[in-house]
Amino acid sequence: MFSEWRNKTWLQIKALWKRPQLDRDLDDEIAFHLAMREEKNRAAGIDATEALHAARRQFGNFTQTKDRSRDMWTFPSAENILRDVRFGFRVLVKNPGFTSIAILTLALGIGANTAIFSFVYAALLRPLPYSQPAQLITLGCYRPQQSTPDPLDNWVVSYPDYVDWAHQSTAFQSLAGFSGDGFIYRGNGESQLINGAQSTTNFFSTLGVTPFLGRDFAPGEDIASGPKVAMLTYGFWLTQFGGDRNVLGRSMQLDENSVTIIGVLPRNFEFAPQGSAQIWVPLHVPQDFTTRRNMRWMPVIGRLAAGVTTSQAQSDMDTVNAGLSALYPEANGSIHIVLVSLRDRIIGRVQSLLLVLFGAVGFVLLIACANVANLLMVRAASRRREFAIRTALGAPRGRLISQVLAESMMLSVAGAALGLLFARLGIFLLVAAIPQTLLSSTPFFRDAHANPAVLAFLGVVAILTGLAFGLSPALQISQDRTGDALKEESRSSAGATRARLRNALVVAEISFSLVLLVGAGLMVKSLTALLHRNPGFDANNLLTFGVNLPPTAYPKDPDAIRFDHRFTEHAAAVPGILGIASNSIIPLTGGGNSIRFLREGETIAAGQESECDIRDITPAYFSVMRIPLISGRFFNDIDETSDGPKHVIVNQSFVARFFHGEDPLGKRIRFTFSDKQPFREIVGVVGDIADSGLDSPPQPALFDPFVQGANSFITYIARTSGNPANAIASLRTTLHDVDPQLVLIQPQTMQDLIDQSASVFLRRYPSYLIGSFAALALLLAMIGLYGLVSYSVAQRTRELGVRIALGAAPRDVLRLVLGEGSRLALIGVAIGLVAAFGLTRLMRSLLFGVSPADPLTFVGVATLFIAVALIACYVPARRATRVDPMIALRYE
Amino acid sequence: MKQNRENPGDLLQGTLDLLILKALARGAMHGYAVAEWIHQTSEDVLKVEEGALYPALHRLELRGLLDAEWGTSENNRRAKFYSLTAAGRKQLTQETEFWRRMSGAVARILQTA
Repeated sequence: MFSEWRNKTWLQIKALWKRPQLDRDLDDEIAFHLAMREEKNRAAGIDATEALHAARRQFGNFTQTKDRSRDMWTFPSAENILRDVRFGFRVLVKNPGFTSIAILTLALGIGANTAIFSFVYAALLRPLPYSQPAQLITLGCYRPQQSTPDPLDNWVVSYPDYVDWAHQSTAFQSLAGFSGDGFIYRGNGESQLINGAQSTTNFFSTLGVTPFLGRDFAPGEDIASGPKVAMLTYGFWLTQFGGDRNVLGRSMQLDENSVTIIGVLPRNFEFAPQGSAQIWVPLHVPQDFTTRRNMRWMPVIGRLAAGVTTSQAQSDMDTVNAGLSALYPEANGSIHIVLVSLRDRIIGRVQSLLLVLFGAVGFVLLIACANVANLLMVRAASRRREFAIRTALGAPRGRLISQVLAESMMLSVAGAALGLLFARLGIFLLVAAIPQTLLSSTPFFRDAHANPAVLAFLGVVAILTGLAFGLSPALQISQDRTGDALKEESRSSAGATRARLRNALVVAEISFSLVLLVGAGLMVKSLTALLHRNPGFDANNLLTFGVNLPPTAYPKDPDAIRFDHRFTEHAAAVPGILGIASNSIIPLTGGGNSIRFLREGETIAAGQESECDIRDITPAYFSVMRIPLISGRFFNDIDETSDGPKHVIVNQSFVARFFHGEDPLGKRIRFTFSDKQPFREIVGVVGDIADSGLDSPPQPALFDPFVQGANSFITYIARTSGNPANAIASLRTTLHDVDPQLVLIQPQTMQDLIDQSASVFLRRYPSYLIGSFAALALLLAMIGLYGLVSYSVAQRTRELGVRIALGAAPRDVLRLVLGEGSRLALIGVAIGLVAAFGLTRLMRSLLFGVSPADPLTFVGVATLFIAVALIACYVPARRATRVDPMIALRYE
Repeated sequence: MKQNRENPGDLLQGTLDLLILKALARGAMHGYAVAEWIHQTSEDVLKVEEGALYPALHRLELRGLLDAEWGTSENNRRAKFYSLTAAGRKQLTQETEFWRRMSGAVARILQTA
């Protein structure tokens, strides 16, 4: 009855403060009754003592009456729980071995889960630190002739398109663009290269970010001739300006410009796509970029107008796009616009990784729970007499169950406390294991720490685990019948249900850890496949770096070409340098330009022509990289003149895609960005390389001589005879000798580049993590199996003794015990294989060069498992063979 | 309206509750007076184990059928006086009606024998 329950609860709560008063009232009331009755008895002529006794007799059980009334306003359960906790504590302290193993197991499980959850929270659950982040959309475009429609691969827009979109679309409050940048910063000490970013002036207002100090960019500051201003990130402000608030209005030297500091971004500001940027400046669009619709280079973000959905915005942009296509068929004729939420854009690549890790670590916790449950059940079995005696003495069954639960809760809370320590250590190690370059593009991982959400998760996990492993022993107690437990001889076989439950737990542990081990096996195999993938060139002993030629000293292409000749000549003479060449991008890192072209004799509508990557290279490029020539020839000295014949070299993918495997030598193509472009003859075909990452298929590419497409930012690749890192210092000196104002930008060995690349990281990281989870799981499962078999041997000592006495050979006993253990292991392995077969497909996107159902991995893991399981059973089985029948029989 | 029969004494719990309500229908009284009234009115046929009276009184109070107030007894002692609430009065009417029908039915069955 609800009202009674409500009244009672209310009374109980009120009573917390006035319990002494209520107790006194109850005493008074009863005392009054007794006094009245006594008086009446005395009036009836009974003598004084007898009157009192009679009154009491008539009243009945005094204490019981009081107790029953008092129960109405107290929380008997709460008080019992306190008693349980105290008792449980004593029990746990008395069994330090059991307690510490249980707590350690739980702490590992809970700690690992908390650590991974803090990453999941930081990346997937925490809202992006912008106002109304759900309104933020990214816009890009793609041409089917060039790239895949995967939205995450396409995020650049031409400047004129951006301007038109901003004017014509109605679905957005604002659209903003940005681009990466780098500056030579001359601070207090020597020149250094710092990463920066450029953005349209409405960029921060679109995100909803206001500067911590100073002001936002003002309209008009983003024209090419506009004032040069800069916004500092909080970290840069702290390290370079010591957090000085008077920094506003000061100027600093970026490249050759004096730039005024107008603001400092908030401490929590992050923008993953430009995560490494330390300085933000307004976008200064080069003059020709403002008119070239085909020059797609700028990522665009937009804030949806109030109430507009992404699909409405998509159809709005499709309308805008159709108009622009009709107006500019050559540039925009085959363009599609893709909209992706900023959140998906930022976390799209790590989401599946995190979810797989979270799943894996969840399995570890389940195994830990099963293990502790098993320990508790074994212990509960040895405490059956204790419980039976207490039941016989009148303890209600509920009290015993609640006591067992209190014990398990204490274990899980202690495990959680220790787990929190593990988690903090784990988070530290996990963040430290992320390469710096990747960490700057996933800045939210820096936010992975024990925040309230993570602590709440920890708390819930602790309670759930406590229930999970506490429930089975508690249920077991509740099924015991007092008489049985007391009558039973202490060492005879346990009830069948109980044994079945324990077996089931061990089988579950085995199958869970098998799933983990298969997952780890697949990850390791992917990593190996990736690292052994032939990138198409010899990645050993290569050093890459950049040189930026400032426009004041190197205003025109011939200046850059002259520099390149001189520097290459000097560098090639450095001892230990076998060769040096340049390319417009560093191989394996992706990016770079693409170009549209027509094959000679091809007639195609304007705007529908083919497109492929274009790389401007110096002559030694293929030999330095050791990229094989398939047919034709490399560039010769005549090609290497700016006014020489126009020749190109293509790769095998190019031939396959655009010439369908026919011999392309002697065929001619023409770039379509200008009518004045001449036809260029294909003079050579080279092998494909993994240009945009080890896990990406090669793309069609064509190469033209650097002298015919010079650039002010040059990327060099040098082949060294020894460790490439040792060549950095001498190359720096060489560069300084050629031009003292130039800086060697980001020197990095190709091996480091591969190691820190996203494609490798996305396999190596989960390989190590799932690998260690799987190792832990395997260990726990084997401890579980070992414990189970040992316990069963101990329980069956007498039976085994009888068997031996009746003539069973040690071999028979061994087979008996091993058979029992390996039967469980086989069941677990079978279930685990089926589960793994179903689950590993969820990690398909993380795999490389291996199928989620890779038979070799499955068979290998299963074999390993059975072997380890046999060892775990063998030790107790050996012990069983040494049972002395006399001792065993006399034992009872 | 089921209650745990915590004290299988001489009286069924429901009956004890009904008697308490009936007693208090005459006005506020303390526990002792309720016990006395039940003894006297039933001419000592119904023997209330007096201890059982108090948990019953407290439970009825909790259910909102009774109000309780500390006051002074006829011989100037501090005593807790119970009185019927509106809900208690309604309950008394319903229970009385139910009891009448029950006892009537039982009586008819016994007569047929």
